[in-house]
Amino acid sequence: MHELAMATSIVESILNVANKNEAISVTEVILEVGELTMLNPEQLRFMMDVTRKDTIMQDAEIIINMIPIEVECPKCKYKGVTEPDEHMDHLMAIAICPECGQTNLNILKGQECNVKTIKIEREDENA
Amino acid sequence: MHNVASIEVEQDMIIANDELAYENRKKLDENGVFSVDLVGAVGSGKTSLLEKLIDEMDEDIAVIAGDILSKFDAKRIEDKNIPVKGLNTGKECHLDAHLVEHALPDVPLEDISYLFIENVGNLICPTDFKLGAHVRTVIISVTEGDDTAEKHPMIFKGADMAIVNKVDLAEAVNADADKMVNDIHRINPDIPIIKCSLKTGEGVSEIIELYKEFKESRLKK
Repeated sequence: MHELAMATSIVESILNVANKNEAISVTEVILEVGELTMLNPEQLRFMMDVTRKDTIMQDAEIIINMIPIEVECPKCKYKGVTEPDEHMDHLMAIAICPECGQTNLNILKGQECNVKTIKIEREDENA
Repeated sequence: MHNVASIEVEQDMIIANDELAYENRKKLDENGVFSVDLVGAVGSGKTSLLEKLIDEMDEDIAVIAGDILSKFDAKRIEDKNIPVKGLNTGKECHLDAHLVEHALPDVPLEDISYLFIENVGNLICPTDFKLGAHVRTVIISVTEGDDTAEKHPMIFKGADMAIVNKVDLAEAVNADADKMVNDIHRINPDIPIIKCSLKTGEGVSEIIELYKEFKESRLKK
């Protein structure tokens, strides 16, 4: 269950940023998770619910945007998304260039676990 | 009254781990220690490989053993009378750069030339987490089934070398070791792959030779 480790780091980093910005609560979190990571978004969500309990982000809406796999082929210079074919495990999409069949691709996107933005509430100084 | 603000955070957890891993690597380089992150499923032969290497390599070796909930692996290595740090991950299924960073002060880096870091028995969870080792070795065995490599492509994509173990048992379990080698090369065409049997000793000298070459090319002096 490596989602627990990730969820702990994510919540920690959000609370850090929120505190620095004098937030009284966090209302929304946008995460980017790459399709190639070994992270299951539903497990990640569940673990975040556990780790953010009793914090100022416990009621925040968590939005998880999955980032599609993008590769670059060193041979034919194809650059773009890649889809697995029906005989493959989805991760095997990294194995073959969709254009020329070359099997040594560079991965450009799909390995993220990024806290993109958060929305916070704070005391209005002019109130 | 409250006001609402949107804040760009842009903090990637995987990159944060990579940065810690880089610090670990720097520390190892500074001490002239070549390190290996050894990854493989439960029962693939990680600890057996270490026992063999400790016996047959004429080098000063230390081990960080990342066994979950027990110190059995650490005990097996301790019996060889070399420095071993047991990393009890407790709730985790993988080691990460942070855990290794905390283990390194307990390893006598000035007295060793090789550090083997035995990851937790798992082909999925360790994938995204670099430790800072110079080389990641993935070990699989024919008894796991000869479709093991194609079922776990990402771990091989990020590996520097692979070992297919227990080849002496291939026929008995109806597995094709060459298929496993081909599958790994389909995922990662450039990596060296060694077929071995830790029981008969087949392939062990090739593994040792390969580590020497990697040490020569990757350890920054």
